[in-house]
Amino acid sequence: MTDQLLALLPAWGPWLLATTTFLSCLMLPIPASMLMLAGGALVATGDLALPAAAGGALLGAVVGDQVGFLAGRGAGRVLPRLRGRRARTMARARQKLRRNGAAAVFFSRWLFAPLGPSINVAAGALRYSHRAFTLAGVAGELVWVGLYVGLGYVFGANLEAATELASSALGLLAALAAFAVLGLWLLAAARRRGRTD
Amino acid sequence: MNTLRRLWQTNRLALIGFALAAVAVVFFAVRMLVFTIYWADPAHRAGPIEGWMTPAMLARTRHIPPEAVARALGLGRDVPRRTTLAEIAAERGVPLQALIAEILPLLEQP
Repeated sequence: MTDQLLALLPAWGPWLLATTTFLSCLMLPIPASMLMLAGGALVATGDLALPAAAGGALLGAVVGDQVGFLAGRGAGRVLPRLRGRRARTMARARQKLRRNGAAAVFFSRWLFAPLGPSINVAAGALRYSHRAFTLAGVAGELVWVGLYVGLGYVFGANLEAATELASSALGLLAALAAFAVLGLWLLAAARRRGRTD
Repeated sequence: MNTLRRLWQTNRLALIGFALAAVAVVFFAVRMLVFTIYWADPAHRAGPIEGWMTPAMLARTRHIPPEAVARALGLGRDVPRRTTLAEIAAERGVPLQALIAEILPLLEQP
C-alpha cells in the first residue's frame, strides 16, 4: 500500500497527507509518517509548497484527534454508570488526567505516537477539558508534522534512511524520557525510605 | 546495595522498568551510531531511484542539474513538474527500469 500511496503523493500532495494523518489518528494502519517524509522531500525539490503540505498533514491530524475525542465523549455518555471499585478507579484516572493530561496528550502525538488514538478516546470518555485537549493536541501535532516533514526535507528522497533515522531518534528520546522519569521516581522513593528508617 | 534491595521490595515494577529503559537507551544509541556511520558514506546516501520520485527530486538527490535530467529523459516543457517517473514510463509504455536506464549515464559523470 505504501508504494501506491507514494505514487499518488506528487499529484495529490496536501489532500493525501491530510487523509493519511486523519486515518492514522483513528488507529488505522496507514504509513502517515513515511508519507510526511516523502512530502518533505517533495517540498525540498519544489514539487509541493511547504504551507500546503505541512498544513494538510496538520489539519488531518487535528481533525482526526477531535473525532477520537468526541467519539470517546459520546461513548462515555452512553456507557452505563460504574459503581463501587470500578467507579473509584475511574475517578482516580480522571483525577490523574486532570493533573497530567496536557503532557499525556502532547507527548502521545509524537514521542509515544502509538498511544495517541487511545489517549484521544480515553480523554473524551473521561470528560477531559476539550479546550486543554485541543491546545495540547495541536501543539503536539505541530511537533509531529514538523519533525517528519523536516526530516523528509533533509533526507526524504532516501525514505529508508529517513524512516530509520526518525525511528531511532524518537526511540532514543522515548527511552531517555522513561529512564529519567523512572530514575527520579526511584530516587525519591529511596530518599523517602531513608528518612523513615 | 541496601537501598537497591529495599527498592526491589517496595518499587519492583519501577526498578524493572528503569532497567528496561536503560537497555533501550543503549540499544537506540547504538542504532543511532550505526546509522550515522552507515549514512555518512556518500555512496549510501543517495538511495534507490523509485517510481514515485519526480525528475526534479532525482536531480536534487543525485546533484545533477534538473535541465540535464529533463534532457536525458527527453521531457518537453509541457510536462507538468509533478509528473512522477512511473507516470512518464507508463505514458511511454516502457518499464520503469528502462526509463531509469536512460538517466544512468548522467549519474556516472563526475
